[in-house]
Amino acid sequence: MSLEVAIEKQVQDFRLSVQFKADGPPLGLLGSSGSGKTMTLRAIAGLETPDRGRIVLHGRVLFDSDEGINVPARARRIGLLFQNFALFPHLSVAENIAFGLRRLPPEERNRRVAAQLSAAHLEGMENRYPATLSGGEQQRVALARALSIEPAALLLDEPFSALDTHLRSALERHLRETLAHYGGSTLFVSHNLEEAYRVCGELVVLAQGSTVAQGPKEEIFRHPPTLEVARLTGCKNYSRARRAADGSIEALDWGCKLRVAQPFAQPPAHIAVRAHHVRVRPAGESKPERRENIFSCRLVAMTETPFRVTLDLRVIGNIGGNIGGPAETAPESAGFQIQAEVFKQEWEAFRDMPQPWLVELAPERVFLLPD
Amino acid sequence: MNWQAIALSLKLAFSVAAILLVAGMPIAYWVTFSRWRWKFLVEAVVALPLVLPPTVLGYYILVGLGPRNLPGRLWQSLFGHTLPFTFGGLLAASVLYSLPFAVQPFSAGFESVDRRLIEAAWTLGASRLATFFRVILPLSGAGAVTGVVLSFAHTIGEFGVVLMVGGNIPGVTRTISIDIYDQAQAGNYATANHTALLLLLFSFLVLSVIYGANRRALSLWRKL
Repeated sequence: MSLEVAIEKQVQDFRLSVQFKADGPPLGLLGSSGSGKTMTLRAIAGLETPDRGRIVLHGRVLFDSDEGINVPARARRIGLLFQNFALFPHLSVAENIAFGLRRLPPEERNRRVAAQLSAAHLEGMENRYPATLSGGEQQRVALARALSIEPAALLLDEPFSALDTHLRSALERHLRETLAHYGGSTLFVSHNLEEAYRVCGELVVLAQGSTVAQGPKEEIFRHPPTLEVARLTGCKNYSRARRAADGSIEALDWGCKLRVAQPFAQPPAHIAVRAHHVRVRPAGESKPERRENIFSCRLVAMTETPFRVTLDLRVIGNIGGNIGGPAETAPESAGFQIQAEVFKQEWEAFRDMPQPWLVELAPERVFLLPD
Repeated sequence: MNWQAIALSLKLAFSVAAILLVAGMPIAYWVTFSRWRWKFLVEAVVALPLVLPPTVLGYYILVGLGPRNLPGRLWQSLFGHTLPFTFGGLLAASVLYSLPFAVQPFSAGFESVDRRLIEAAWTLGASRLATFFRVILPLSGAGAVTGVVLSFAHTIGEFGVVLMVGGNIPGVTRTISIDIYDQAQAGNYATANHTALLLLLFSFLVLSVIYGANRRALSLWRKL
């Protein structure tokens, strides 16, 4: 079970050039809007014709510009879940699900529709019309309809973007369960990192129409291959960097030296750390066992979400050995700003403590990015 | 009232509406979905009857269908008689004259169908023809109704083309609008008035049906 895609397409100023391979777990297509995710999906479904390239699904060539093969969308057997679900408004739920089953004998058709209705928890709604359904129910009908034709691949185009937040987690669970039982290749397009991370096993990152990374999701998040990927996977803190004489890394935009646990072969171009890996604590605390990568800082701004707090911190000095002593060793203007994300509980423990606080960019959490 | 003329007009209008329902749909489909770069030329030709004086259109149809030109000769060799001044000739002229009144509403109806629904049908294995009958046509019902009703009504009301191509032969080509003209010319204002009033009411009814149908169709799918 595999889907191989290597296509190019020029649309005015936009150039799409993507290549990836999906086999096994759901593959997430991650990228900001306008990165070419939807166009890639449409090309695989046969709704868009690439200028060049090849699309092979389970050994069956769907598109090959060299051999002049272009299987029409209706013959590709690919289930596509549209962003707005695209349910037929003049057909009932059951008729929507049965739409692609015209050629089956009636008993078989009814059996499949019933199976889809029950899998999607839509029993009793078969005669309702899409306009009378909630957004979540519409999504389940659309998913059932796409699966009814037993597609060789299932393409999901931002399936949650049209839904209210409170509906998402239940539907996401339903989707994950459905995908776990589905035998074909799944491609999940999203611009939401956390959603893509939860649903998918592997990720392909797109930027400006090109594939910039592909790999297991943990790998992509832990070691983004480029700054672009780091940014797209939600990394908030980065600086240009070069190797210092003493083996540490000099963060040029931050104006400081940092120790990094990760071994590096080629000279690094950037150094980065994720906001939730930045540790913040009051200065008066007992001596930590390490002194590396610890700075004093002041709070600049704070944003609250229900369970977490995002802190904008101005790093004002490298405190080195004198923990607990006067923190100011660098002029205020020389400092740099860094974003930290901490749980509410932690935040409440040090919010009223006197500033400056300490901020730690632990060597094993800081990562380097080649050019 | 001249019931013969009324019956003839109804027969003509029903025939035109039926022909345009069948012939106008493929043209409208092509006009809506074709990506051919010279498509606008075809659109302009289809729309010509909207702006041409009926006498100009009638004149060319008359000449074109006449025995001196290819379409006329072809017809004559096939059926043994010429088209002008017959019901068949009147029908052919009326179909051409009402073409934009069918094609444009059909096309507007097709245009209003969400492109993604059409694509969804394709990915579910439906051919273009199946997609047309199962998705596009049901969802552009108001456009189809409008096109049929408008071409029907427009045929009832046509005058110039009928006079040019059909002449004024009672029972064969004398339609209701020509009858009104004849009555008025002959000074029979009471008869002319009755027939005219009938046409006025009919036209009002037709337009009410169209606007009603469009409103209902819009509110039906608006929720999605």
